Amino acid sequence: MASVTDLTHHDVEAHHEHGHPTGWRRYLYSTNHKDIGTLYLIFAVVAGLIGTTLSVAIRAELMVPGGHVFPLISAIMTGDGSLDAAKNMYNVFFSSHAIIMIFFMVMPAMMGGFGNWMVPLMIGAPDMAFPRLNNLSFWLLVAAFALLMCSLFVEGSPGMRGFGGGWVLYPPMSSDVGTPGPAADFVILTMHLAGASSIIGSINFIATILNMRAPGMTMFRMPLFPWSVLVTAFLLLLALPVLAGALTMLLTDRNFHTTFFEPSGGGDPILFQHLFWFFGHPEVYILIIPGFGMVSQVVATFSKKPIFGYVGMVYAMLAIGLLGFVVWAHHMFTTGLSLNTQRYFVFATMVIAVPTGVKVFSWLATMWGGSISLKPPMLWAIGFIFVFTVGGVTGVVLANAAVTRYLHDTYYVVAHFHYTMSLGAVFSIFAGFYYWFPKMTGYLYEDRLAKWHFWLMFAGINITFFPQHFLGFQGMPRRVVDYTEAYALWNMVSSIGAFISGVGTIVFVYLIYEAFAAKRLAGNNPWGPGATTLEWTLPSPPPFHQFETPPHIFGDEETHAPAIAGHGNMA
Amino acid sequence: MIASGDREGTALTQRGRTARNSRLIGAGGALLALTMVGLTYAAAPFYSAFCRATGYEGTPQVVKANVDAEGRRILRVAFDANVAPGLGWSFEPESDSIRLRTGQTATVYFRVRNLRDSEVAARATFNVTPEVSGGWFDKISCFCFTEQHLGPRESAEWPVVFFLDPKLETDPSMARVDSITLSYTLFAAPSERPSQVGPGDRAGPAG
Repeated sequence: MASVTDLTHHDVEAHHEHGHPTGWRRYLYSTNHKDIGTLYLIFAVVAGLIGTTLSVAIRAELMVPGGHVFPLISAIMTGDGSLDAAKNMYNVFFSSHAIIMIFFMVMPAMMGGFGNWMVPLMIGAPDMAFPRLNNLSFWLLVAAFALLMCSLFVEGSPGMRGFGGGWVLYPPMSSDVGTPGPAADFVILTMHLAGASSIIGSINFIATILNMRAPGMTMFRMPLFPWSVLVTAFLLLLALPVLAGALTMLLTDRNFHTTFFEPSGGGDPILFQHLFWFFGHPEVYILIIPGFGMVSQVVATFSKKPIFGYVGMVYAMLAIGLLGFVVWAHHMFTTGLSLNTQRYFVFATMVIAVPTGVKVFSWLATMWGGSISLKPPMLWAIGFIFVFTVGGVTGVVLANAAVTRYLHDTYYVVAHFHYTMSLGAVFSIFAGFYYWFPKMTGYLYEDRLAKWHFWLMFAGINITFFPQHFLGFQGMPRRVVDYTEAYALWNMVSSIGAFISGVGTIVFVYLIYEAFAAKRLAGNNPWGPGATTLEWTLPSPPPFHQFETPPHIFGDEETHAPAIAGHGNMA
Repeated sequence: MIASGDREGTALTQRGRTARNSRLIGAGGALLALTMVGLTYAAAPFYSAFCRATGYEGTPQVVKANVDAEGRRILRVAFDANVAPGLGWSFEPESDSIRLRTGQTATVYFRVRNLRDSEVAARATFNVTPEVSGGWFDKISCFCFTEQHLGPRESAEWPVVFFLDPKLETDPSMARVDSITLSYTLFAAPSERPSQVGPGDRAGPAG
C-alpha cells in the first residue's frame, strides 16, 4: 500500500515538469482519460436533462384525454398550432426522447463517462490505449447531437418539421415515402456519427483492457466493472456496424434510388427490421451490461464482502452478450413468422433469463450476511436490483409470441422497457455516480439530498411506469398522442409520477451545485474497507497522470482468486 | 524518471511493445467492424434468396410444373390488385376469389388497361398473406415474372397459373389458414420512373 502512495506523490510532482494544457484547451484538445470522462459525464447530464424535459412534455400531454399541450408547444416552436402539427410534434418528441436517452445519455454516461474515468484506474493503466482516438470519439458525439438538433428545424413529413418515425426508423415511415424532407437524413447521419464514435471508443476499451493491465492484474483478477465494459465494447463492435450498414442502405434508398427496402425495386422493408433488431437487441444489453458492472462494485463495497460468484458473474455477462445476438426476431413476432421460427425465438429469449438470474441471485447472495451500510450508492444499487427484476419478469411475459399478439405496441411494452432502461440503466448510472462522485471531484455530496433524490425518483418512476402495465393490458397503443376516456385514470396517475421524478431531477441538479459549493473533502477512500479496487488507493481527485510505473497486483497464485474478491493484496 | 539508465531502457522497450500490441488489437477491432458492415450488405441478397427459397415473408414459389397429386383440403384464394401512384393504369382480377383444392392447378386472369396516351412499361410486385403460406403457394407462370408493356390506351388480360402444394396439410402453421390472398402492385418499370418524384405522388401522414 505504501509504495502506491509514494508513487502517486511522485506522479503529482512529475506532471509539473512537462505541464498540461489549461483552460478550454485542456478539454477541447484533451487526450486525458479523466478529462474526457468528465466531458462525457457533463454531456450525458445535459442530454439527460433535455431528454427528461421531452418526456415530461409527453406525460403532460397524456395526463388527460384530448390534445391540450402539444398544440401549444407546436405553436411556440413552429408557429403552427393546428392539430396535425401538434400530432407531428408529439411524434418528434417521443422519437427524439428515445434517441437522446439511448445514444446521448445512457451510452455516453456508462461507457464514455464511467468507462473512461474508471477502467484505466481499476486495471492500473496510465491512460487509455489511444488517447487521441478517445478525444475523437467524444467530439464526434457532440457533432452527432448537433445534427439531431438540426433535424428538429427542417422539414420531415410534408409540411411538418422534425423526424417523427421513432428511434427504430422503420421504412416506409423513414424512407422518402413517409418522410421526404431532410429531417430523416439528419437523424440517419446523427446515428452514423454516434455509431462511429462508439465503435472508436469500443476499440479503445478493448485495446486498453486486453493490453494495458498492470502486472499481476490477470483477466480473472480484474474487477467486474472493467469486465462489463469489455463485454459491452465487443457487443458495440459487432452490433453498431450492422446499424451503420442498414442506415446507409436507407440513406441511399432515400437519396440515390437504391431499393434495399423499396418493394417497387424488389426490396423489402422487413429486411430493415431484421437488420435493425440484429443491432437493436444487443443494443439494449449495451445499455445495461456496464450497469451490471457498476452495481456489482457498489453491492460488494457496501456489503463489505467480495462479490458472490465472481467467475459466474463474468460468464453470465458473456452469455447475455452472446445470446443478445440470436434473439432479435422477438421484436418482430407480428411480422408473419412461421410457428417454428416463433418457437425458436421464444425459447432463445427465455434462456436469457437464466444468466440474468445468475446475476440477480449473486447480488442478493453478496448482500446476504454482509455488513450492509445503506449509503446513497447502495440505495440506488438495491433500487436497481428491484426495478430491473420487475422489468426482467415482464420481459419473460413478452417473450411469449402468443402474448405478444395481444401486447405488441401497447403500453405494456413501454412499461417493460422503461423498467429495464429508464429505471434499470438509469438507477445503475446513479449508483455509479454517487459511488464515484467523491473520487472524481474530491468532494463529498450531502447524503440527505442524495437520499431525497433516490426516494423521489424511486417513487416517481414506479408511479409513472407501473400503471402503464395496466394500460397495456387494457390495450392502449403506444406512440399515439390521444386516447379514449377509458384509459384516463391510469394515465393521470402515470403523469403525476413523471412530475414527481421531474422534481427528483431538480434535487439532483441542486445536489451537484451544493457539493461543489460546500467543498467537503473526500480523502482517498470515503467508503472504508469495502472499497478494495485500485481507484481508491489514489487521492481524490486522482492526479492528472497516474500509474506511470504500474502497480503490481498480487493475488493468490494457486486459486487465481481475483483482486476484487478481497483476497488479492495490492503492493 | 528513475536513476538507473538500464531500467529506463527496459521500461522503454516495454512501453514500445505495449504500443505495438495496442495498435494490433486496434487494427483487429477496426477489421471486425468493417467485416460486420460487409456482412450487413451481404444480408440483402441473402435475404432475398432466402425468401425465394423458403417462401418467407409470403414469397410464392416458382416451379416448372404441378406435382399432380391432389390433396384433401379446399382453401379460398383471394386476389388483390393495386396500382402505385403515378402509373395511370387500371388493374383488377377477373374474380375476387376462387375455391381451390390443394394440388389442383388454377389459371386466373387479371384485366389491365393503360389509361394514358403513351406506351408505358410496368412491373408487378407480389406476395401472399398470411406470410407463412408463401412456401406452399407455387406459381407455374405469371405475368409478374417479366416487365410488361402496354401501348396507348391498350388493354390486356394477364394470366397467372398456380397451385397449392398438398404438403401444406402437414404444416402446423397452415392448420388454421383457410384463406390465402395473392396480392399484386403494379409499379412503373425503373427505366420509366422520373428521376425526381413530385411531392404530389407521395403519401404523407395526412394522406
